[in-house]
Amino acid sequence: MTLTAADTEQPPAAAASRPRRGLSDTARAYLLNAPAMIVIGLLVAYPIGYSFWLSLHRYNLKLPALERFVWFQNYLSLVSDPVFLSSLRVTVAFVVVVLGMTVILGTALALVLNETFLGRGVLRSLVLLPWAMPGVVNGLMWRTIFDAKTGALNGLLLQLGLIDSYQAWLTSPTGAFLITAFAQVWNTLPFTVIILLAGLSTIPSEQYDAAKVDRAGVVQRFTQVTLPWLLHPLLIVLILETMNAFRAFDTIYVLTGGGPGDATNVIAVLNVRTVLTYTDFGLGSAYSWVITIVTLVISIGYISTLYQRGRIEV
Amino acid sequence: MTPETSFSRRRVLQLGALTASLPALSSVLAACGGGGDSSGAVKFSGWDYESALVQANVDRFVQLNPGVPVEYTPITSSQYVQKTVAEFTGGGGPDALYVYDDSLAGWVAAEYLQPLDGLPGVDEVYAGIYPSNAEAMTVDGKRYGLPYYTDTQCLIYNEAILAKAGISAPPKTLDELEQQSQRIKDAGILEFPIGLTAQLQDTWQAWVWGLVYASGGDMFDEAGNPVMDGTDPTAREVLAWLQRAATVSRVIDPAVLQLLPVPLDDAMKAERYAFTIGARYALRDYNDPARSQTAGNLKIAYIPSLDGSATGTVSTTRMYALSKDTEVQDKAFQLLTYLGGFTDGQPYTAKYWFQKKGLGFPFKALEQDPEVQAGIATFADPEIYSGLADAARPRTVVKQPWYSEYENEQQKTVQQILNNQTSPDDAVRSLSAAVASLKQKYS
Repeated sequence: MTLTAADTEQPPAAAASRPRRGLSDTARAYLLNAPAMIVIGLLVAYPIGYSFWLSLHRYNLKLPALERFVWFQNYLSLVSDPVFLSSLRVTVAFVVVVLGMTVILGTALALVLNETFLGRGVLRSLVLLPWAMPGVVNGLMWRTIFDAKTGALNGLLLQLGLIDSYQAWLTSPTGAFLITAFAQVWNTLPFTVIILLAGLSTIPSEQYDAAKVDRAGVVQRFTQVTLPWLLHPLLIVLILETMNAFRAFDTIYVLTGGGPGDATNVIAVLNVRTVLTYTDFGLGSAYSWVITIVTLVISIGYISTLYQRGRIEV
Repeated sequence: MTPETSFSRRRVLQLGALTASLPALSSVLAACGGGGDSSGAVKFSGWDYESALVQANVDRFVQLNPGVPVEYTPITSSQYVQKTVAEFTGGGGPDALYVYDDSLAGWVAAEYLQPLDGLPGVDEVYAGIYPSNAEAMTVDGKRYGLPYYTDTQCLIYNEAILAKAGISAPPKTLDELEQQSQRIKDAGILEFPIGLTAQLQDTWQAWVWGLVYASGGDMFDEAGNPVMDGTDPTAREVLAWLQRAATVSRVIDPAVLQLLPVPLDDAMKAERYAFTIGARYALRDYNDPARSQTAGNLKIAYIPSLDGSATGTVSTTRMYALSKDTEVQDKAFQLLTYLGGFTDGQPYTAKYWFQKKGLGFPFKALEQDPEVQAGIATFADPEIYSGLADAARPRTVVKQPWYSEYENEQQKTVQQILNNQTSPDDAVRSLSAAVASLKQKYS
């Protein structure tokens, strides 16, 4: 014999008259969640809070005797810090270039992979590969490819007759900037493709059929049907890729170390160098919070401008 | 609110207070555990370079001194400064420790270390070492370290490549260096005869300092004020030469902007460059037949200067120091003396490191040691090797708290010089302005 839900349910009156034993449901819920909350508190909230606390201090390990609470002085000093301002300019340019390339290439790749053709499954799997690659390995790979003495790119271009001799691609500021941006895009593009591909798969085919009946061309179908449906996936892509680009460190550090000059000295590289090389934990923590706040503001901007526009009633 | 849900506010506040007290509690527990060692052993820590050899040497010390147990702790090099400061801050620092020359002044200011003046044997050690090492270990007139090892920058050239180009002696001036490189280039032997490491690094770009010091100049006066854009034109002239050699005669490889030390070493050993400026220490590796295609051809020379009249270079010093709050001072100093001083009248440990790994020795007496002489002769000219140590100076501003930030600015400026993004005049003005900004930041 099997019991049904009706068999096991007690009348409300019986439940109300049941004597209270031990903890209430609310208390039990808190109790059961407490271990996870404590772990999250210790491993996530405490370090975040502590880094903010540090950012309010003058705290350089080279001058431990001068440690003191300075309120928001570290933040105020950034306004007139030429190194920080230069780094911020480079970072903004880096984010814009990376986002532009990511969205354009990601959309194009997603549209291609959304079509039906022989080998689509294999190609979809291959597209994921760069995402599985750690940033340091990605940096080393591109460093090897662009190497001035033994790089594969130099070998290829020389054999094709496009260059006369091996070139030091990473030694010009513009070349280094574009190559690091490209390496960053290559590493994170698969994520964009997956999100957009998922978005494309939700578009009802009737919409395209209706558009064709209305004699809409390819461009019109893309702008009037595809793009509105992709606004929500694009919003996710923009938020996450902006965060990624703002925090980009390992690929850039391995490829150029932030050089030549200040060409690729993005804020994450400056941040790590400030903390680990200059041992200035106070200022370094302030940098971290600036990155966080800027990313947060941009994300809110994306949501406020794109969310309503992407609302679609089916 | 029902009795069942009244749990939340009061209980959460209680739990919050308990959680907030955890860090304080852990600090108390850490402090309890971080006190002095009840066994009386000397706590000795250092970065993890060849820690097995360090342990073997410490074991020998303990055998010779059974009453002085030592607990040796190697710490990852990249985190050595951070971890050591954390230990001192927590009250459980080591009794004896390694110290970098660019950490010394800050650690003295933080009262982690104690001066060694007046302790037995210290005067003898300082009388027996090179002046640059003594200067690097002295802060405000007090001596804080006994030397671990030292090294200096030198010109390294490939004698075989020079011979192919019909050159019989290494260059003495920077112009000669450029001309010889041009001859090698014109002879079709190498497209870019000079290799350097100019990618941005978190360590120092020693060759830049070496070039300026070789010409008898400096970027700073003794008080740490920049002179590179004012009274001392040496740095500007060296930068001008670098720019000419990189962009006009093109004898410096443009790829140096993405070259790090290990690839440069490989390139030198593969005869891809005829000249570089590097540490004397590197020659031992370059001339090791098991590791180098051109062993025996790579020679040592003084760094060329602007006019050929000056001789100079830059040195670095690593040292052993004594904690200010050590509870086993006598024992710790006994260990310090064994490591950085004399044992039976001989600088045993300095010689041990030279013989084992080729580390530069700070003791002048070892220049006369037949075993050391024979060791040097396997990879370099002993006379020049010693002459460089005599001529070396430490970096003028290595004890300034802003030094590492300045170093990074200098590296970026050198990159901009090498790829023609700035002029020598603008470069020295920019560096001088950076120093002013850093001084204000640290004021």
